[in-house]
Amino acid sequence: MKNYQLGEFEEIVLLTVGILNNEAYSVAIKDEIESRLKRTVSMGALHTALIRLEDKGYLKSFSGESTEDRAGRPRRYFEITALGKKAMLYAKETREQLWKAIPKAVLEVSLQKLAVGSHQ
Amino acid sequence: MKINPPKRPLQFLRWFCREDYLDEIEGDLMEVFIKQSESSPRKAKWNFGWSVIKYFRPEFIKSFKQHQPNRYGMYKSYFKISIRQLIKNKTFAAINISVLTLGFSCFLLLALYLHDEMSFDMFHRDADRIYRITQHEQQDNGTLRNISSVAPAIGKELREQFPEVEDMVRLSAFGRVTLGNDPTNRTHERALSADANFFTFFDFPLLEGDAKTALQEPFSIVVSERIKEKYFGTGPALGKQIWSGYRREGQPIYLTVSGVMKNFPKNSHLQIDILFSEATWHSLYNNYSQYVTTEWVDTEYTTYLKIKPQSNITSLSARIETLVKSNYPANREFRSSFTLQPLREIHTNSSQLESAAEQFNANSIKPFYLYTFAALGLVLLITACLNYMNLATAVAIKRTREIGTRKTLGAPKTQMVAQFIIDSMLFTLLSFLLSIALVYLVLPWINIFTNKEISIGALPLEWLMLVTAIILFVGVLAALYPAFIATRVAIVDALKREVKIGGSSLSVRKGLLIIQFAISVMMIASTLVIYQQLNYLRNKDLGFSHENLVVIDVNSRNLRRNFETVKTEFGKPAEVLRVTASTRVPGEWKSFPVATTKSNQNIIGTETIFVGIDRDFLDTYKIKLLAGRTIENPVADSLKIVVTQLAAQQLGLADPIGQMIEIPRVRYGERMEELDTPFRVEIIGVVENFHFESLRSKQMPVIFGALNTSIQVIDYYTLQINTSNWGNTVETLKAINHKLDPDTPLEYTFLDTRFEEMYLADTRRGQIFVVLSVIVVIIASLGLFALVSYSVESRLKEIGVRKVMGASVSSIVGLISKEFLILVIIAGAIGLPVAGYFMQGWLQEFAYHIPFGVLVFAEALIITLLIAFITIGIRTIRAAMLNPVNSLRSE
Repeated sequence: MKNYQLGEFEEIVLLTVGILNNEAYSVAIKDEIESRLKRTVSMGALHTALIRLEDKGYLKSFSGESTEDRAGRPRRYFEITALGKKAMLYAKETREQLWKAIPKAVLEVSLQKLAVGSHQ
Repeated sequence: MKINPPKRPLQFLRWFCREDYLDEIEGDLMEVFIKQSESSPRKAKWNFGWSVIKYFRPEFIKSFKQHQPNRYGMYKSYFKISIRQLIKNKTFAAINISVLTLGFSCFLLLALYLHDEMSFDMFHRDADRIYRITQHEQQDNGTLRNISSVAPAIGKELREQFPEVEDMVRLSAFGRVTLGNDPTNRTHERALSADANFFTFFDFPLLEGDAKTALQEPFSIVVSERIKEKYFGTGPALGKQIWSGYRREGQPIYLTVSGVMKNFPKNSHLQIDILFSEATWHSLYNNYSQYVTTEWVDTEYTTYLKIKPQSNITSLSARIETLVKSNYPANREFRSSFTLQPLREIHTNSSQLESAAEQFNANSIKPFYLYTFAALGLVLLITACLNYMNLATAVAIKRTREIGTRKTLGAPKTQMVAQFIIDSMLFTLLSFLLSIALVYLVLPWINIFTNKEISIGALPLEWLMLVTAIILFVGVLAALYPAFIATRVAIVDALKREVKIGGSSLSVRKGLLIIQFAISVMMIASTLVIYQQLNYLRNKDLGFSHENLVVIDVNSRNLRRNFETVKTEFGKPAEVLRVTASTRVPGEWKSFPVATTKSNQNIIGTETIFVGIDRDFLDTYKIKLLAGRTIENPVADSLKIVVTQLAAQQLGLADPIGQMIEIPRVRYGERMEELDTPFRVEIIGVVENFHFESLRSKQMPVIFGALNTSIQVIDYYTLQINTSNWGNTVETLKAINHKLDPDTPLEYTFLDTRFEEMYLADTRRGQIFVVLSVIVVIIASLGLFALVSYSVESRLKEIGVRKVMGASVSSIVGLISKEFLILVIIAGAIGLPVAGYFMQGWLQEFAYHIPFGVLVFAEALIITLLIAFITIGIRTIRAAMLNPVNSLRSE
């Protein structure tokens, strides 16, 4: 199946939702990504990604309880759908296939070069 | 401590963000903000704002397309209700529509008429650059003589000397020509002659012949279709010959038709049927070329100039004056000035001008009448609309329950007003369409009546749009008032149906009614004055009889010679009672000689009309001889004259008989001639005064002389006839004429008809006034009827109660009529002085007119009151006769 389209940021978001499992809502996802990957995530970008993933059917959402720290607004929790899981697996498999297909020499040489370069 | 996020970004977010995402986004931002503001509030605020900006992207921006409910149904309901209202109030609707239709039609017709008057001569390509030279000559008595023609040399020199004069054409009116190849069927036709470039100067299309060469050859004529058909039938006429009354060396001259022109459009100030080439005169008369190039005094040539664009017209006319002055004969005093009259103004601005012939300035109209007609059109339109306002307000107030309901359901005021305007537009449009249909129907009749060729199609788009716009604008304006009145009412009052016609609104509507009746009274009074004056003109004793008189115009030498023989011949038929020969006749249509007459008592001299008569003249015209005797023998009495009382009085003669007077000079129309030897004559008789001309001009003194004086030759025979069969008599006279002079056809006029024609324009005007006042009165009466209807309807209960208490029908009718009749009287007080002012001005045109009295005013007021009373009565009697049970039980 070639129709599992998943952008890089989308994949990260999808994975993070998986990590958080049942606790995944926007601010939590943002914090998780920021702490694990050491990169800043803008709320807007994250939100866009979430909406897209939901539109593609990889995520589904439900309203949670409203809390004081959100000025009375409810949280929206995200969950990976079955399709989302397939897409994640597909992405992972294709990567692995590609990894395997790379000749060992290529990686070694370049690593050696890297090593040499760093020594000099 | 509660920390609030920055306001502005939040507002911004709430403004642009999609509603289904807003909660979540706001929640997220708040959570982050609160968390951050624990460590650094400033950074948190900053971040909040930044994040909001980052959210400003297509996915989150809501659709700003205004989402509006469909109002289609509402407008549909407006229409439906408008039509239902129309059907429900049939009388009101019928009155409304007929009033508006009448008003619109009149406005449309008057606009068409005005356009036609203003479109005169505008069909020429260079109309804006064409001017006519007019001459203003100072007279001995200080007055100015304004003439629309000038000397022949002026035009020629102008074209040669002044570079801004691009082209020039001259027309001269030489009178009439006898035409016809069939000797028994010849007629006199009025004709003009023109320079060869006439058809390239003006844009009168030629059906046959070449515009450039048609008028080049001598003895060639260009005729209109009308004349062509009369003499040559339907086939082509180019190159054909026609016998004319002109002779050269005793032989009749045949003229060649060198062109046939389309009949001139009615909206041309020139109305020409026959045009001679100017070259004709050059070969017919010796010295004519010299006359045309050297004559600077005569005013025989109507001269048109085509001026190059952007020339200074004022300076040009000053230069013309200088030119003429330097060429003026040394022995004549130059006392003239010149103006260039634009072609556009010739039709409307020539009434003060003397013109060389009737073919110039045909149907010329005074601007005063144009303004009057324009004003009338507007007045009618406004009256109709005022009425509509009146009626619509009355009907609208009846609809208060509907208004109340709509308001309760939340209709804003603007929508209510819109509804009423739609309502009124319906009426306006319907009436507009009806009025166009009506105009189409009456236009043929109007064209006959006004001798015009008016059609709606001829109206240019700008005018059509302007007229339509005015009508629709006024229509909407009339709708606004009832709309605002009706929608102003408070909801609760409206629903309780407790709205009475508001005091102020009633007085406004009464005011409108007063204006209408003021106009009606004005029109009625004016019509009465016009008709009384016309009657006066017809019945005024002119001092002579013009009944049963046939005037025969003398056009040839054969009839002029041996007038005794001619008289005997014409006197032979049994029905001819008397025959008289004279140089001029009363009601004169040609110019008459005016003799300066001096007596011992009056050495300056007075101007008198001079008429040569024979012994039968006074008897035929029933002019009363007061003293002495009349001219009896043309030879023996050739140095004797008979004067009117007025002449004797002006000459200062108490006992005129036997007195000698002197006539040093005579003026023929425009030409003043000193007599070679002053004419010294003896007064032998005095006759009663009589009016020689129309009653527009002041009575002039008249002196009668013998026929064979040097002043004037015989020009007319007058026959007093007693017959029941005019057709037969005319045939008999024609036969006699043919025997006397086979070459010239008989030309005759009934003097009665001639006198009718003098006041034809006034009679027409009177008829127009009658029609217009009938329309105005109808409109006003319908308005009154509607207002009374409304008043009665809203007082039905009151009437019922009064009847129960024992009031009679007449007292109820009186009660309601009174308040409206007072309005009509107020209207009279406003309208009559205005009518008086205008009618006074009109009557001043006549030297003899009816005394201007209060009686006419009273009559007009009584007529109006009567009409008003009948109108009110029809409606109130019905209401007063109603069984009070019907009006009272529905409580």
